[in-house]
Amino acid sequence: MAAPTLLQGVKVLTLEQVHALPWGTAFLADMGAQVIRVESAGHLQDRKAGPFPNAKPGEEWWNEGGNLAYFGTRNKESLCMDVTHPAGKEIFLKLVKQCDIVTDNFRPGTMRRYGFDHDSLEAVNPRIITLSSTAFGHTGPWSKAGSRARTIDAMCGMSALTGYEGGPSLRASNNYMDHSTGNNVAYALLLALYRRNKTGKGMRIDLTMQETGVSCIGPAILETQHGIARSRLGCSHLWKAPHNVYACAGKDRWIAIAVASDVEWAGLMQAMGNPAWAQDVCYDNVHSRWQHRHDLDKLLSAWTATQDDKALMALLQQHGVCAGAVLTAADLVADPHLKQRGFLQDYDRAGSPTVGVRTYAGRPFRVPGVPMSIRHTARMGEHNDAVLQQAGLSPNEIAALAEQGVIFNRPRAGEKAP
Amino acid sequence: MEAILSDISVLELTHAPSGAFCAKLLADQGADTIKVEPPSAGDQMRHEPPFIGGEPHPDRSTTFLALNTNKRGVTLDVTQAAGRDMFLQLAAKADVVIESFPPGRMAELKLDYEKLKAANPKTILLSITYFGQQGPYANYHGDDLIAQATGGFLYAVTGSTHKPPMGTALQQMELTAGRNGVIALMAALLQREQTGVGCHIDLSVQEAAVATPSGLVHPYSFTGKNPRRGSGDTNVMDGMHLPTRDGEVTLTTAGTGGRPMEVWSEFLGEPRLLDPKFATRVSRQENWEELRDLVAPKLKEWNNLDLMRETMARGLVIGLVQSPRQVLDSPHLAERGYFVELEHADAGTLKYPGPGFYFDGANPMQTVRAAPRLGEHNAEVYSARLGLSNDDLGRLRAAHVI
Repeated sequence: MAAPTLLQGVKVLTLEQVHALPWGTAFLADMGAQVIRVESAGHLQDRKAGPFPNAKPGEEWWNEGGNLAYFGTRNKESLCMDVTHPAGKEIFLKLVKQCDIVTDNFRPGTMRRYGFDHDSLEAVNPRIITLSSTAFGHTGPWSKAGSRARTIDAMCGMSALTGYEGGPSLRASNNYMDHSTGNNVAYALLLALYRRNKTGKGMRIDLTMQETGVSCIGPAILETQHGIARSRLGCSHLWKAPHNVYACAGKDRWIAIAVASDVEWAGLMQAMGNPAWAQDVCYDNVHSRWQHRHDLDKLLSAWTATQDDKALMALLQQHGVCAGAVLTAADLVADPHLKQRGFLQDYDRAGSPTVGVRTYAGRPFRVPGVPMSIRHTARMGEHNDAVLQQAGLSPNEIAALAEQGVIFNRPRAGEKAP
Repeated sequence: MEAILSDISVLELTHAPSGAFCAKLLADQGADTIKVEPPSAGDQMRHEPPFIGGEPHPDRSTTFLALNTNKRGVTLDVTQAAGRDMFLQLAAKADVVIESFPPGRMAELKLDYEKLKAANPKTILLSITYFGQQGPYANYHGDDLIAQATGGFLYAVTGSTHKPPMGTALQQMELTAGRNGVIALMAALLQREQTGVGCHIDLSVQEAAVATPSGLVHPYSFTGKNPRRGSGDTNVMDGMHLPTRDGEVTLTTAGTGGRPMEVWSEFLGEPRLLDPKFATRVSRQENWEELRDLVAPKLKEWNNLDLMRETMARGLVIGLVQSPRQVLDSPHLAERGYFVELEHADAGTLKYPGPGFYFDGANPMQTVRAAPRLGEHNAEVYSARLGLSNDDLGRLRAAHVI
């Protein structure tokens, strides 16, 4: 499939690792930008991250990981080059001259040490847009601290708000903050491009994971200013009831039911055959149902326990009740709705026969004219020659760089398999 | 720097947090954003607790206040012919329209994309629904919990191994959908610069949940294994939350140069951490209760901010499990100028989170207003955009159109 023409001609150089930033730049790559991921032989954790076919790293493990196709080198180009080597640094700056955006997720200060901070790059290319994605930003007392998505989940207030009702705090996710940050990266970069189309001006973007995280808990930030504390509610809700998960037939099968109104409540009772207990006045209105929600949860569980989760979802929805089976990954891959919508992509990784055809989640939106599918997954150093030729290097010069170990297309001898 | 989206106008006709958050992200970058609410009751979110001041009040719901910054607000009954015509006139002057009716409802109202396009071919319409515009579940009802369930998040991500599925607080699937919405809209705006025409975007909250926070599809396809919740249950050094003197903390083995127990043993002053039974990740999980009972009392000696400073100085990576209050009072965020103050006639001055990015060192969050009061900008918008007189407005008010 051909790349969208939307961002054709936009060139991005990215020094990126792990999850948040690669997730963000993948959106631009999907839209047709030339995203050159500059990779180092010393930091192969993304190529070691998997998941691998049948959970076993193969002989060419560095080109096999599923995360590479999902976001790591998705629709990107791979330039494996040591930018700390003087020759590598010189080429990097040559590439900066021709490109529009430079992104990195080093800790603050590293780009300056390499001579790649915004001011240095702007001196080479006055229209440059730079984005630095960090845990805590370039200023403030915590700017030097490192992070994981899980620690950001904690630092931004999300974990303190998350947990079973009456139970301890729990991190919401091991990577939700990566994804939220990556989405924010894409938004910030598209805003910067939009502005540059109008003004011709580049800019420096300081984007942080912690602050993106705090922007996910806006209501709680307002509440604390007025002394309102939010308690942890698990799958329960501040005012809706029933609003929880209920065990169904089978091992670890569940259905989520969320009733907000009297109309939905009537639909639920009808689906249940109007049981006698429902006549009790305590289930008469939204507020009273919420006050008796624990009793209600028990009564519903008794009814759901013998039923098939997916059939029950269909039945409840037919009665206008907001309900959803608690789907597993296997369910998602087989889900008739997602299939019919063309959301899932069966993508064949050309050049990696051990990987072959695998199923990937698509993008959640369809913009006509801008298909966002996976078209290519860059192998390690796959685009060394093409990118360096674009930078004006001759085949002899490129060969010499390979000879000196400045560029490479496989791990160093002795690199441990994951 | 001038606000980047100051030349863009947005019309929001949504009924759920996804659309409200999406429009807020645009408004915070300067888009002239008009929120259209049904007359009398307004947006459902106005009635959702908690409320500033405690008592129910349509202008003091924290959810509503949080998700509607920098917008103007009008009331309009689009189910009446006069209201529908006014909406179409507003839409014809807008760059972006965001709606979240059940699929087909906009067509019933004669406000579907074809009608908007006929009025203005440059208009971009974003439809956000729980299950998208077509497909077997398209007409299913949803909310954030249902999106967490059908998006794979509930089963696999947050909860504990031996407990029922459990998810996140504060409607994160809705917010994720909203964040995807602004990416899609920026693409459509950039495309319009090239083609001169708008388009209709279909965005599904369920798909946003699958694609972004859950990310389960390809791992299953690669390994044949169903990811399941509870990965952090017994992980003392890389997952568990442990109490400090004034809060909680979660440790990591990052920054220890591959010698986590040596480094943490030294830092915490607890030589028993060097016991071989804690040497590997697997053995630490096998002996997790014993390990926790050694680590926890040592952490209890620390205050959060001291612990952060000292671990940071040694290159260790931890997470303070901060309460919203601790986040708000954070010296770090204060120095960065992260929170911005917005005024609300009824709720007073409130500190709001910024977007999480700074352009040339400045926080680009607009500070026009907190959230609009119900119908606050009726006169302003309807006279400026539609040329209506005070008499016209009086008639529309009497007919409950506005």
